[in-house]
This record gives sequence, C-alpha cells and structure tokens, in this order.
Amino acid sequence: MHVESGVDAVPAIRVVDLHKRFGTLDVLRGVSFDVRRGDVVSMIGASGSGKSTLLRCINRLETPSSGEVYIDGEPMGHRGQGDAKARSLAEINMMRRDLGMVFQQFNLWPHMTVLGNVIEAPIRVRGMSRREATALGEECLARVHLEEKSKEYPARLSGGQQQRVAIARALAMRPKAMLFDEPTSSLDPELTDEVLVVMRELAADGTTMIVVTHEMGFAREASDRVLFLHNGLIEEEGPPSQVFGAPKSERCRQFLSKHVQ
Amino acid sequence: MSNWERLVWNQREVLLKGFLVTVEICLIAFAIAVVGGMLLCLVRLYVKPLKPLAVLLIEFFRATPIFVQLMWVAYVWPEIFGWPGTFFAAGCVALGVQSSGYLAETFRAGIEAIPRGHREAGYSVGMSPPQVFRRIVLPQTLLASAPSIVNQFTVIVKSSTLVSVITVQDLMFQALKLVTVWYEPIEILTVTAGIYIGFVFLVSLAGKTLADRLRLRYGLAAA
Ligand SMILES: Nc1ncnc2c1ncn2[C@@H]1O[C@H](COP(=O)(O)OP(=O)(O)O)[C@@H](O)[C@H]1O
Ligand SMILES: [Mg+2]
Repeated sequence: MHVESGVDAVPAIRVVDLHKRFGTLDVLRGVSFDVRRGDVVSMIGASGSGKSTLLRCINRLETPSSGEVYIDGEPMGHRGQGDAKARSLAEINMMRRDLGMVFQQFNLWPHMTVLGNVIEAPIRVRGMSRREATALGEECLARVHLEEKSKEYPARLSGGQQQRVAIARALAMRPKAMLFDEPTSSLDPELTDEVLVVMRELAADGTTMIVVTHEMGFAREASDRVLFLHNGLIEEEGPPSQVFGAPKSERCRQFLSKHVQ
Repeated sequence: MSNWERLVWNQREVLLKGFLVTVEICLIAFAIAVVGGMLLCLVRLYVKPLKPLAVLLIEFFRATPIFVQLMWVAYVWPEIFGWPGTFFAAGCVALGVQSSGYLAETFRAGIEAIPRGHREAGYSVGMSPPQVFRRIVLPQTLLASAPSIVNQFTVIVKSSTLVSVITVQDLMFQALKLVTVWYEPIEILTVTAGIYIGFVFLVSLAGKTLADRLRLRYGLAAA
C-alpha cells in the first residue's frame, strides 16, 4: 500500500465487504470498492444481479446485513472512531443528505412545482430561507437546462425533463456524491440523450458519481472505472478501456456481447 | 295570507335558527371525522401494538347505525366516560366518529396508493419520516381523498337530521315542532327538504369543483 497525501487519501465512498440478504436470498455477497473524489464509476450487470440493492445499501434505503459504507471516511452504519454503536435513524438521515439519489422512476412529488421539488429539502433539511433556496434551486435547474420550467408541475413535463428535475433536486443538497439507478431506463430512446448530456456535464464538472446503467456508450466514454456485477459480487472491475476492450471474465464478455452493438 | 307565508315565511327565524344549528353540528362533526379518521388511519398503519384497537374502532364506527350511535354516545358515554356533557356535543361526536371510520379507510387507501419511491426520494434528500409524511404523503393523500371527504360531509348533513332524537334543536327539530304546532306538514316539510337538498347540493358542487381543479393542476388521476 502506497502512501497518498492530502485529503485525496480518503475516498469519497468506500464500500467494505457489503452483504445483503432478503430472507434466504443472498443478493450481495461481499462487495468492496472505493470511489475517489471526482471519479465516475459505472456499474453494469444483468437484471437481478444486485445493482439497485447495492446503491440502496450505500445510502441506507436498505440496511446492509453486514459490511460497512464510508462517506468521506465516516462510517454510515456506526459512530466511528472506535465507537461501534449503531447510528440512530436520525443520524443516518443526516448522513443520507450527502448522497444524491436519482431513481429510474424519477419520483418527483406531483403536488409541488418543479422549483418546489428542488427547494423542499434545502428549506426543510438545511434550514435555508425560501429566498436563498430559490436562488440555489434556480441555479440547479439551470445546470439541467430547465430554468424556464420552474413553475410547472411535474405531470406537465416529459420523462426526460422530469428526470432532469430529479437530478436538480438531488444537486440542490450539494451532495458529496451522486448515485444514479438506471436513470434513463424508463425513458423513450429519443429522451435518453438529454439526460445523458446532463450527466456527462456533471461528470466533466468533477462530480463524484456511481451510475448504474445499461447505456454502454456512457459507461465507456464518461466513466473512470467500470464495475461488472454478477450474482451479488463484483466479477470484473477496471478502466473502461480494459473492461470493454479486454474483459478477463467470461461472463462479462458474454454480457457485453449482448449489450454493446 | 297563504299557507306558505304563514307557515314558512313568518317562521323563517325559527327555521334559520335550526339551520344554523345544523350547520354548526355538521362542521364540528366533519372536523372530528377528518382528524379522527386520520388518527385512526395513522395508528392502524404505523402503531403496531395499537393496530387491533384501531381496526376494532374503525369497524365498530362504520357498522353501528347512526340512530344507535347517537343514543349510545348521548346516554352511555356520559355514564362510562363522564363525557360528553351536552346533547349537542354528543350529536357532534356521534356523527363525527361514524364518518371517521369511513374516512380512516379512505385515507389508508390513499396512503397505500402513493408510490414508495416518493417517500424514498424524500429520505434520500435527508428528510425525516415525519417531514416525509407531512410534506409528501399527507398532501397527496388529502388530494386523492378529496371526493370521498366531500361525500362524507354530505353523509353527515343527512345523518344530522336524526339528532333531534337526542333533543338537539337543529333544522329538523324546529320543522317538526312547527308541524306539531300547526298540524300542517306540507309546506313546512317541503321547504325543509328543499333546504337540505340545497345545502347538500352546494357542498357537493363546491367540493367537486375544488377537487377537480386541484387534481387538474397537479395532473393527478381521480381516485
Ligand atoms: N426488498 C426486497 N425483498 C426481497 N427481495 C428483493 C428486494 N429487493 C430486491 N430483491 C431481490 O434482489 C435481487 C437483486 O435485485 P436488484 O438489486 O434490484 O437487482 P438489479 O438492480 O441489478 O436488477 C433480485 O432477485 C430481487 O428480486
Ligand atoms: Mg435495478
């Protein structure tokens, strides 16, 4: 192990030996990896391989059966610094806001305007004034190129626009990292590009991201590292050139031959 | 002088007094129904140890005929609980709890219909469970339940015509009193029926207009 200097020695996200079982079903069977600050990690793998569960364990929408997740060196599950006591729900809530989550189904709140969706958490969770939050919200909407839609209700937007609002909503908490769970999978093909463009811009701005995706073009061009998940284990891992160009695992090779044109 | 003038117009103050009592009872009962229904629903969904009690109360309130409920609250509750102290209060409570049983089930259906992802989106930006409930679950539930809520109000108005059996002096009470004084039921009862119909109609119309407008605005489907 070589010594790194400065804050970059601490990864933005560190996942250590994560296990998750639902009843008798072992969905995650010991997953470990680091995401360095500013890195984009794409996660690929067949449906049912545990990708969503992994993301949900990282921000604790699911409680891992064992293993730990560290955000900027802070353990999510227990107090840290030798204190093995489990964190309370309230503490986990506090830490969760450091991770922005973007869902396949957008999950915008239909009774709030676009801006209302974006400024809700800055006001309620960060305690910002409405005016401060509005300025921040408009800035975030500009980043997803939707500033002119701030007064619309979600139902009036296309799927691609809704997903971009969802991204803005996550960005408004100024998270340390963004987690994307198949953000374009429920979009019509002609709407995926506008979302991918935004994600590429975020990546280029140095946003730390984990992206579960079937968009192999994005994984290959926009990510620093690619993980291939199979049956709850990381089966292949490396820079995109290696994973796409010369995968070591036979299963990964098969998966790619089905998904890359 | 026509019968209409003698029996109805000249008695307008008595009828108005009765109508105001009816409105008052209905509003209070409605408030009890909405708040009580939400509490019963929340206990049923989120307070494990008290769930059987909540289910029992909901079923009991829904199954009891309103006439029995009125008598029971008016004459039995004061003996057991030392409350309510007046027949007016008993009328409000009896009408309110019956509708609370129905609304509890409406609210539960509304809450269960909200996609889990809406709540998870709230948790993922750091909102606490009470914040998620208050800001995300509750408004959507109320919107989706709006037609049923309005409907329950009209049920309360109609049931309220029975509170005279526990001597509350509502519109029906005053109308019946006039009938027994004059022995001329046609005009008085016809006008009374008209007032109830008008009241229910206006409430329904206002409620439906409001609910439709809100749902259109938010692009929500009718429940
Ligand atoms: N809450 C749950 N309860 C039971 N089984 C679950 C739950 N969530 C996911 N699973 C199961 O875990 C496996 C992995 O699911 P998931 O993480 O969604 O895979 P992916 O996102 O890679 O398609 C699937 O077999 C799924 O049925
Ligand atoms: Mg998934």
